[in-house]
Amino acid sequence: MHLTAEQEELLENGRFGERKAMEILCALGDIFGADRLVPISSAHVSGVSYKTIGDAGIEFLTDMAQGTRVRARTTANPTAMDRQRWKEMGISDDFAQKQLEIVGLYEKMGVEESWTCTPYLAGNRPSRGDIIAWAESSAVAFANSVIGARTNREGGPSALASALTGLTPRYGLHIDGNRKATVIVEVSSPLKGKDFASLGCVVGEFAGDGVPYFRGLSASESEMKSLGAALASTGSIPLFHIEDVTPEHKNAVADGLERIDIGREELDEKAEELGTEEEPDIVAIGCPHLSMEELKDLAGRRMKKRKGTEIWLCTSRHVYGQARGLLDQLEDIGKVLCDTCMVVCPIEDRSRVVATDSGKAAFYLPKFCSQEVVFDDVGSLMRRFL
Amino acid sequence: MKLSGRKISRGRAEGIGLVSTSPISFLGDVDPQSGLITDHKSDISGESIRGKVLAFPFGRGSTVGSYVMYSTKRSRRAPVAIVNERAEAVVATGAVISGIPMIDGIDVGLLRTGDKMVVDAEESSVELPDVQLRKAVTSFLFNKGRVLLLKRSEEVGTQRGKWAGVSGYLEDDEDPVDRSRQEILEETAIGNPLLRKEGKPILARGNDTIWEVHPFLYEVDTREITIDWEHVEYRWIRPEGISGYDRVTRLKRVLDSLM
Repeated sequence: MHLTAEQEELLENGRFGERKAMEILCALGDIFGADRLVPISSAHVSGVSYKTIGDAGIEFLTDMAQGTRVRARTTANPTAMDRQRWKEMGISDDFAQKQLEIVGLYEKMGVEESWTCTPYLAGNRPSRGDIIAWAESSAVAFANSVIGARTNREGGPSALASALTGLTPRYGLHIDGNRKATVIVEVSSPLKGKDFASLGCVVGEFAGDGVPYFRGLSASESEMKSLGAALASTGSIPLFHIEDVTPEHKNAVADGLERIDIGREELDEKAEELGTEEEPDIVAIGCPHLSMEELKDLAGRRMKKRKGTEIWLCTSRHVYGQARGLLDQLEDIGKVLCDTCMVVCPIEDRSRVVATDSGKAAFYLPKFCSQEVVFDDVGSLMRRFL
Repeated sequence: MKLSGRKISRGRAEGIGLVSTSPISFLGDVDPQSGLITDHKSDISGESIRGKVLAFPFGRGSTVGSYVMYSTKRSRRAPVAIVNERAEAVVATGAVISGIPMIDGIDVGLLRTGDKMVVDAEESSVELPDVQLRKAVTSFLFNKGRVLLLKRSEEVGTQRGKWAGVSGYLEDDEDPVDRSRQEILEETAIGNPLLRKEGKPILARGNDTIWEVHPFLYEVDTREITIDWEHVEYRWIRPEGISGYDRVTRLKRVLDSLM
């Protein structure tokens, strides 16, 4: 990969964090055949929850943060707790201390107080065609597909490397030809509620790291958020197109692509496979973090919690700030938690069964949090457990 | 013997090799506190990576693996170098942030646990000072859909009792075709085989030797052969049947390169 004199200088004589960042980008650029580094307009880093990255992550961030600052606008993934309500979540003082240390290290490097998997709903919203370097697979799918910005599926360290240098290697989804569809998915049933998550889980399994092109589908932004998160969980899908909906659907389809039909039967089968019929300890909504649209919908239902089951509504601090007028109605339903979610917080310390409408959460809760999952629409979950 | 690859993470280090034939996930397969391989299914399960040159085909699993590598480095349980067949993002990133020299593009099947190894990322090479490179020829005789396999005797220097093609050492100044014809004459008493194909050299690991094997396919018009002291038995087999024979290293790969 070609480096400019200025980039060479950073690689050889930058601060520790800058040198390491350049080395990461050069190694990845060489592995994936990039020709050069290109400037980014924003970064989004993962590797924030203490539960996920542990003491190893703190050590790494401590070293990287020595005298370095981000060179592009940078947001970051959820932490392991609501930074204000962590005691209510049963988080120990020691754990909270470690989590706050991680948050402090990111802030020291100039990362915005974001702590969300939906940076695009928290002010970090790129424009179509922007070159960005994002981690967080659901945000990658959203940015590429719904916005038409361009990012590969970065990991925590590589996204941080891009943040600290303002650069990313040009390969993969930064190249036009790699953004074309690899499989056509004909959706033969109208979708609602959890169907988008089920569809994502089904297609993720067979499309691998390809680019699905959906036909017969209309979807709101929030529904595409849910679909993309699921696609990126059971598969490694960084980009999808929906005919007549997403910005790059035109010219995305070449002749002779494989074609798959998905209907009611496949969706219901997947929904059944994702969940059990057990009694949940916690009902957790908001994976990815709830949008304003979704919070309004919830608040508009005018429901009041009557049963003992704990209910979490997870969103970003940013959207929470915009939802001030709805908070009374929302808190009638359950706890509105910010900065965290059911997957990256230590939910396993207090729960065995979680109910959710998220395909992504349904996929990861058993793997990372030893949870059984109840999978259903928000409306049904509220009727059953509120 | 020096193998050439591609630099992934800078630096140079030497140590004893620890070679896994299966992929490794640093999250889950390695305990960062002890440096032990905890994956029960691994062929190096229970071994310590500390101070070793760790060689495996490629990484797998979560991106958190990069941080785990960093942790092993901080707790002084890290390998001194990493050798991969094909680098991917998680291990490459982990090696870079941990300052562990790493190269890829190396045929890990040529490396053995216990080998002394010198990894030089700047030179993109791994040197095996105690392993020598020697050249050899291996020929398959072909007759009406069948190829000749020979069982090596107890008198030969290497790989006794294994099934092989017609083979022999090749000196540096020798022509491989001449040598292969000579070996066929000695080992089968066939004097005029018709050369059908010459394959690209294939590397194969012996004990203290890596063999550069030059593959040849000859057509013969008879299955009547006379073996010498180097072999005790022979069979004409269908090429796809080779998997069923206890054979010399990479013989199937040599045959596949000719079919």
